[in-house]
Amino acid sequence: MRKILATTLTAFALGALLQTAPAQAQPDPEALMKDAHLKMYYAGDDGTARVQMTITDKKGKTRERDFVIIRKDFVEGGEQKYFVYFFEPNDVRRTTFMAWKNPDGDDSRWIYVPALDLVKPLSANDKKSSFVGSDFAYEDVSGRHWSEDSHTFVREEEKDGHQTYVIESTPKEKDYFAKKTTWIDKASGLILREEYVDDKGAELKVFESLEIKDAAGYPTATKRRMTTPRKDNNTLIVFDQITYDQGIPEEIFSERYLKSPPREYIGQ
Amino acid sequence: MRRIFPGFPIQHPRLVMVGILVLTVLAGIQLPKIKIDTDPENMLPESEPVRVMHREVKEAFNLRDFLVLGVVDDETVFTPEILERVQNITDALYDMEGVITDDILAPSEVDDIMPEPGGGIRVQTLMEEIPASTEDAQQIVAQIRDNPILRGKLASDDGKALAIFIPLENKNYAMEVGDQIQALIDKDHGDEQYYLAGQPVAQDTFGAAMFQQMAFSAPAAFLLIFLLMLFFFRNWRVVAAPMILAVIAVIWTMGLLVGMGYTVHIMSSMIPIFLIPIAVLNSIHILSSIHANYHEKGSMEETLYHTMRELFLPMAFTSLTTVVGFASLVATPIPPVQVFGAFVAFGVFVAWLLSLLFIPAYAMLMPSSTLDNFGHAHEGPAAPESHLQKIYRFSVKYRVAVLSGLAIIMVVAGYGVTKIVVNDNPVNWFKPGSPLRVADKVMNEHLAGTYLAYLELSGPEDQAFLEPEWMGYADRLQNVIAEQENVGAVSSVVDVVKKVQYELLSRAEGSNTLADDREKIAQYLFLYEMSGGSPDDLFKFITPGQDRINIWIQMRKGDNQRVKEAVTAIEDWIAQNPPPSGMEVQWAGLSYINMKWQQLMVSGMGKALAGSWVTVLIMMGLLFRSVRLGLLAMIPLTATILITYGYVGLTGRNYDMPIAVLSSLALGLSVDFAIHFIQRTRDLHIHHNRDFQKTMQAFFHEPAQALARNIVVIALGFVPMFFATLVPYVTVGAFFFAIMMISGAATFLIMPAMLSYFPAHVISGRPKGHGGQVHGVKDASPALGR
Repeated sequence: MRKILATTLTAFALGALLQTAPAQAQPDPEALMKDAHLKMYYAGDDGTARVQMTITDKKGKTRERDFVIIRKDFVEGGEQKYFVYFFEPNDVRRTTFMAWKNPDGDDSRWIYVPALDLVKPLSANDKKSSFVGSDFAYEDVSGRHWSEDSHTFVREEEKDGHQTYVIESTPKEKDYFAKKTTWIDKASGLILREEYVDDKGAELKVFESLEIKDAAGYPTATKRRMTTPRKDNNTLIVFDQITYDQGIPEEIFSERYLKSPPREYIGQ
Repeated sequence: MRRIFPGFPIQHPRLVMVGILVLTVLAGIQLPKIKIDTDPENMLPESEPVRVMHREVKEAFNLRDFLVLGVVDDETVFTPEILERVQNITDALYDMEGVITDDILAPSEVDDIMPEPGGGIRVQTLMEEIPASTEDAQQIVAQIRDNPILRGKLASDDGKALAIFIPLENKNYAMEVGDQIQALIDKDHGDEQYYLAGQPVAQDTFGAAMFQQMAFSAPAAFLLIFLLMLFFFRNWRVVAAPMILAVIAVIWTMGLLVGMGYTVHIMSSMIPIFLIPIAVLNSIHILSSIHANYHEKGSMEETLYHTMRELFLPMAFTSLTTVVGFASLVATPIPPVQVFGAFVAFGVFVAWLLSLLFIPAYAMLMPSSTLDNFGHAHEGPAAPESHLQKIYRFSVKYRVAVLSGLAIIMVVAGYGVTKIVVNDNPVNWFKPGSPLRVADKVMNEHLAGTYLAYLELSGPEDQAFLEPEWMGYADRLQNVIAEQENVGAVSSVVDVVKKVQYELLSRAEGSNTLADDREKIAQYLFLYEMSGGSPDDLFKFITPGQDRINIWIQMRKGDNQRVKEAVTAIEDWIAQNPPPSGMEVQWAGLSYINMKWQQLMVSGMGKALAGSWVTVLIMMGLLFRSVRLGLLAMIPLTATILITYGYVGLTGRNYDMPIAVLSSLALGLSVDFAIHFIQRTRDLHIHHNRDFQKTMQAFFHEPAQALARNIVVIALGFVPMFFATLVPYVTVGAFFFAIMMISGAATFLIMPAMLSYFPAHVISGRPKGHGGQVHGVKDASPALGR
């Protein structure tokens, strides 16, 4: 009993100490994660980029995807619309894809199949399924919402030459992973690295920002890699021709534009 | 040579014993390193093209060996209750070591391509959650029926059976995972039945059973032979000698095999069983001679010199013919058979060496009183010699009938041999009624087949299979495969492409066909990946580079003949309908490998047998210095082999690996009887002034009696194997028994009839005084049971 009392008192004293010394306070992990999420996935009001995607399997065999991605935000951290136009693989050229991100429910997705000249809805009930056969799941492309997990601040450390905050997150509801560790780059506020592990501690996938650059005024992770260690598979994506805040009109995120894509934003 | 062998162990019996002991210990300490190999792929060398291809295909398409859990119910397994139990088992798999969870195939794990409201497609888990009602559960059966990739694989059309495919990191986990699953089933189950099958569990179970058999069958045979010999000899010290020798030969052989790093396969696990009787038979001859001469010579030393001098040549020949019989197996292209043949040959050689070294040393160290008793046993109760006399009288009196009978039997047997069906489905190594056989049967009745073969089509460059001509060829080929009787299901990337279009076009009429447009094919596959389809699932059918595709062929029967029918029909079609230029077609899969090695086994065994037959014939010619006697010596063994294999052919028994190697045994042992018969007869012939009648009478008195008892002892020794749990052991036991009986009978019946036609000088040979080698077996006729 006495021991418990002593411990409680010590805790109180420590708490008081921390209260009186705000400069030493632990950063709020939830705020850090939210900030990083917004910087990674909601930079500017809209954005475009040409993306080179290389999927490498364990035998070193690669598959390429080349596409333009157009994004427009409606609610910061909330509703968003995506438009994707594929250049490669060659036989799927002119395929377009559109997603309306809805943080409160299922996303809506459509695809235009040029060989059939048809727009078809795509199912969106499985966020963890692969995006175009890569290691990135749909959820990894548009970002996993910070509110789905509980976050704990772990430490600060230097990682790959960056000063970082390390945060551990566990899903609030049962999910495909048990724990995620995030390294947030202090300088840019972007996510430098994320490791997903299952309940046995086995690594499920690892996300890395391999290059962080200033693009049109926003810090941007221009090279990203997702690795699936179990399969010895990884996907590298390289962003190029990045633009922000072009004032992209909402109307292009529609079936009409899926069939005849907006050339001014797509380029050649 | 002939002096050193008897001289050294007689002069230095203790030194010889110590030397043998040291070598035995050295060999014995190798034994714990034993590694069991139950992989049916190892029937072929690793470098065999079909295996290289098989590995390549497995690697390219990430294919695994599956443990298969079948769930069967008389009504339907698609009820909420049963599906919940299936779900619980599936969930539990995630916590089991060795399970590759990504590749589990179960209702809650596999994807189905579904129509999306509004006209799109959606690739989603077949059973997202356990259905609330039986109607909903039946909906899942309907979905499986509509999906050519899942149909017959995951569930039967009537919903009475479903299967969970559990891929393992390696087969060593099979038993452990199987036990854990069994524990779950024991804890919670309804009226439905569960069956565990699949290659890994079969192999693992077989490996365990093999150890049991090695620990039971060989010792049981050993014990029975020992007891029977004890019964006849009534002197345990004397009987112990050949038994100890046999054990030493087994330890040296197995020690060398294990020490050299060879794995113990089903065949090599039977080496002790083959060695024991051969080793015992050889040394009995020496003991018999010692026994016969001991009282005359007075001292053990003198007796041994006399015996070893006389026996050296015939012993060498009987042993070397056996060595030749087994060594010939090295000519077969089947590594486990090669190892078996080589090491049995080695073991027989060792047994021969030991009989020259160990037996004299043992005899020298035996208390002399032992042999006093031994000698008197001779006067024991008389055996039914009159029966043996009858045999010879019958043989000579009705020699025309005997020989024509033999000719007829040989012709019939020869016809039977042509009817031989080569078949060695490893599942049949288990007895009917064993859980694995039952599981195999039930699952292949309900589902599309657990025997897999793969047909791989490959092209020279990436995206080759996006060409409609190429994909179309695969489609046509697939249809032909599906028509084969033994094929329960066939699936390929063609099904994916078709299914995407079918669902994308809202199952419109005529939409369940293969698109004839490169862009469509490419975009359907892309759409599959965009719609949540796992790339890994796709890559089981087509490589990421789209330059190779893999057609999965599920067959209901794994028997070589059934597989071969399908393969031949498919190959014929390919020959008539050549693939587009640049496309290569290759087979892989365990069922195909099985078929391949069994084909090789037949031709290989034929060659091996022919080679050893000719070699033994030459040896016989040299031994007897007579072509006619040499040929005569070959008759009982030829009759034995023909009758044995004729029986196999006529009764439709499968000619499998154990049966194949028994020809070597028949050859090696039957000729021994013939050698003893002819040598002894020759000797008696001279002794009885070339009077054939008297010679035969003398032979069929005591020598024949002893020979007959030898045969009976060894044959009966194998009776315990009839009760083994593994079929190859039962087969070997039964055929061992039969071969001993047939070759014994053939020797006794045919030889007198044949010899009666021989001119007297041929039977005696040219007597070279009284000490010629033809006298070799003079006192060496087997003396069991005197």
